[in-house]
Amino acid sequence: MSAYVRYDDVDIGWTFPAEPAEFVVTDAVVDKFCTATDDRSGLYDVPRDGGVRRAPPMIAAVYLIDVLKARGGPPGGVHAKQRLAFHHALHVGDLLRTQACVTDKYVKKERRYVVAETETRNQRGEVVATGVITSIWGPDQ
Amino acid sequence: MSAGVSGAIAEGDRLPVLSRRVSQAVINAYAEASGDFNPIHTDPDYASKGPFGRTIAHGMMTLAYASDLMSEWAGEAWLSDSAIDVAFLGPVFAGDDVTVTGVVREIVQEDAGPTTVCELTCQVGDRTVMAGSARCRIGAS
Repeated sequence: MSAYVRYDDVDIGWTFPAEPAEFVVTDAVVDKFCTATDDRSGLYDVPRDGGVRRAPPMIAAVYLIDVLKARGGPPGGVHAKQRLAFHHALHVGDLLRTQACVTDKYVKKERRYVVAETETRNQRGEVVATGVITSIWGPDQ
Repeated sequence: MSAGVSGAIAEGDRLPVLSRRVSQAVINAYAEASGDFNPIHTDPDYASKGPFGRTIAHGMMTLAYASDLMSEWAGEAWLSDSAIDVAFLGPVFAGDDVTVTGVVREIVQEDAGPTTVCELTCQVGDRTVMAGSARCRIGAS
C-alpha cells in the first residue's frame, strides 16, 4: 500500500491536519526567511526602540509547509495557483494554528487538480491569514 | 525602515522593479528557511529524471519576491488587510534572473478606505513565470 494519498481518495470537505498545525514565529524564522528571499524592505528588522519585531506575511510559505505535508500527496505534484489574504500583521512570538480543507477537485487537460482553503489563527484566535492553494496532484504511486 | 510609496497614487503608476538572481544556493537557502525539501528543488540527480530535467525554484519563493516588491512599495500597508493572488506559469531554474514588475490597475473606494489593486508579473527574460494581482489599503491621499 502506498504511503501517499491517491487522487481518487481525496474527498471534498476533507480537513487536514486533523488538529491545526502549530507554528511559532521566531527571530530565527524571520532571519532565515528574509535572508533566503533577499528582503530589502527593512520592515522586518529588529526594532531599535525595543518594540515587537514584525514578520513578513509571506512566512505563510513556512507555516503552510507542515499543513501541505499533512495532505500526503505523492511526489511530482505542482503548485499551480496561490491566493493569500493577510488579515493581521504577524510578529515574532506569535503562535499560529493552521488547518486546510479541500474545497474542489477537477481534471483539466489530463491534469488532476486539488483546491484547498487554508485558515491561520494567532494565539488570540484572530484569523491572521486565509488562502487558497490549487495544486496539480502528483502521479499515484 | 521602508515607509512605502509617498504621494498620490494613480491608475497606471508603475511599481519599482525588483530583480533577483536565482542560484542553486539560493534555492537551497529557501528550502532551509521554508522547510520544503522536495527533491525537485534540491536534488539535481532526482530532478534530472523529472519533467524539467533539472531543479526548479519553489513557486512560493517566486511569490515571496512579489511580496517583497509590495513590501518595498506599500510599506506597512502590505502587512495587514492585503492579499495576493497568482498563477505559477512556468519554472524558475538556477541561473535565472527573475524580474518582478507591477502596475497600479485600479483604485477602489471601499467602506474601509481606498484599496489599490496592482497587476504583478514575474519574468525570466521574455518568459512569464508568474502573474497575478495584489491589493492593499493604500490609495488616494
